[in-house]
Amino acid sequence: MSSRYVIEVGNRHIKDVNEEIQAAAKAHHSLLVRNTLSRHNLGIGLPKGVDVAFEGSVGYYCGGLNTGAIVTVEDDAGWGTGEGMDAGHITIGGYAGMSAGAAMRGGTIHVRGDAGPRIGVAMKGGNIIVEGKIGSQAGFMAHAGKIIALGGAGASCADALWQGEVWVAGEIESLGVDAVVKEPTAEQVAEVDAILEPLGLVDSARNWRRIVSGQRLWYFESRDANAWLMI
Amino acid sequence: MCGIAGRILGKVGDVGTDLVELMDAQAHRGSDSTGFAIYGIPRESGFIVRAMGFERAKLGQDLDDFHYILKEHGADFLENPTWDNSGDKHYSVRMVISEPGDLARWTREADTICHRLEVQSVGKSLEIIKDDGDARTVAEKHGVRGMIGTHGLGHARLATESAVRPNASHPFWARPFADVAIVHNGQITDYYNWRQRLERQGYRFLTQNDSELIAVWVSDQMSKGMTLQEALDHSIKQIDGVFTYMIADTNGIGFAKDRFAIKPLATVQQDGAFCAATEEQALRRVYPGRAKIINYDGPAKTGIWGRGELAA
Repeated sequence: MSSRYVIEVGNRHIKDVNEEIQAAAKAHHSLLVRNTLSRHNLGIGLPKGVDVAFEGSVGYYCGGLNTGAIVTVEDDAGWGTGEGMDAGHITIGGYAGMSAGAAMRGGTIHVRGDAGPRIGVAMKGGNIIVEGKIGSQAGFMAHAGKIIALGGAGASCADALWQGEVWVAGEIESLGVDAVVKEPTAEQVAEVDAILEPLGLVDSARNWRRIVSGQRLWYFESRDANAWLMI
Repeated sequence: MCGIAGRILGKVGDVGTDLVELMDAQAHRGSDSTGFAIYGIPRESGFIVRAMGFERAKLGQDLDDFHYILKEHGADFLENPTWDNSGDKHYSVRMVISEPGDLARWTREADTICHRLEVQSVGKSLEIIKDDGDARTVAEKHGVRGMIGTHGLGHARLATESAVRPNASHPFWARPFADVAIVHNGQITDYYNWRQRLERQGYRFLTQNDSELIAVWVSDQMSKGMTLQEALDHSIKQIDGVFTYMIADTNGIGFAKDRFAIKPLATVQQDGAFCAATEEQALRRVYPGRAKIINYDGPAKTGIWGRGELAA
């Protein structure tokens, strides 16, 4: 039976810390990373099958390129948390900085507090759940996946969205370019509830706004790309 | 990419040491040059002048010419000037002068020899120290860790649009306003348009650094009667680019962040003191334990942290 393995960060070189995390993940199911001091690049490329808890706050890109690990950040996370992740689950106890989940392809990011601007920018899959408010330009150019805000949304919400979806239960400051609000069907709400259910966040009283692309910018307002070919 | 920092203490203390730590923690954001604006114990009379000369062999002649201009404006040295004893070709000099009759006119006159000796700060308490190299290098060369005061700014520069030169480093003095300095992280995309407009109004630019524009631009707004807060608000509507900058005077530190919100800023206010930095991890150098961090990640934000408003 593996015990919880403890790793100290402090002023150590992050490359050394990450190498220790990767090595420990092969022998232990559960890791506790302490004294994080908001350092950057902690827990990059974590493998499936390990549970890594970061005590306190972390800096930029924590949990980036995750391939299946369960990651928990006790307090706040800096910019680009979970960037490019393929699978796994990242929970941020407090605030998530700019561009959390940028270009993620799968997995789940769960933010218990608010999130900064451009959350889920260019995401290509997976789900992001924010219990508080999402910042401006949430879902900017998101190709797929869902961003679900239980609170409100900042300005230019879902700016230049592609095929991703932004769901907002609270107030929306303004919609971004080519973003439109659609009335969700019961089936679509059920899909979102299925995402929220494991987190204990389902509430049937929510007044959901489902924001998708208006498709006016797609192919420069033409669905026929050939019409725009220069040669 | 650059790194900036601000520090306000509840009372006079080791602000130099704190700023060196804040900038050392952000050295990876740019170590072409590093600079500090330290607000020490204010003088009752006279100004502290920090300047940089570019030909150490001509230091004596430079100071003679500077002294001549000073006396032309009814002022004089109150203490003998001191300078660094490094082997570098350029040198940094600290002078204490009596107050010229008209600071703006004297500054314009002093700037006529800026190609040899460039005035980099004037103030009752402000001293700007900047040079090539990372935080530790610059701090050791100029004794920054030993400087005490109430507040200050720091900057680590990764040069992009202009050359790496010690005088192109931050902070920039908002000439000719005593005790006003700025640090900036970002790019000003309408730099040349604004520079030409301001030069037509008679302002002089000493570098090709777009950050110098902010210092001059803010000083121009203040000369037209704007308060610092009004100038900050106006700047995010008028200046085009991606930026977060901080501006300090004797009362505290203000900041402005552009509409695109690309440049980070994190702050902590605790134990009657205040700290701001581009990266949260730098704040942990000063507050290694539990601290409530506030991130200003959103667009179009301004504010002022006043020295007198810090709750213990």
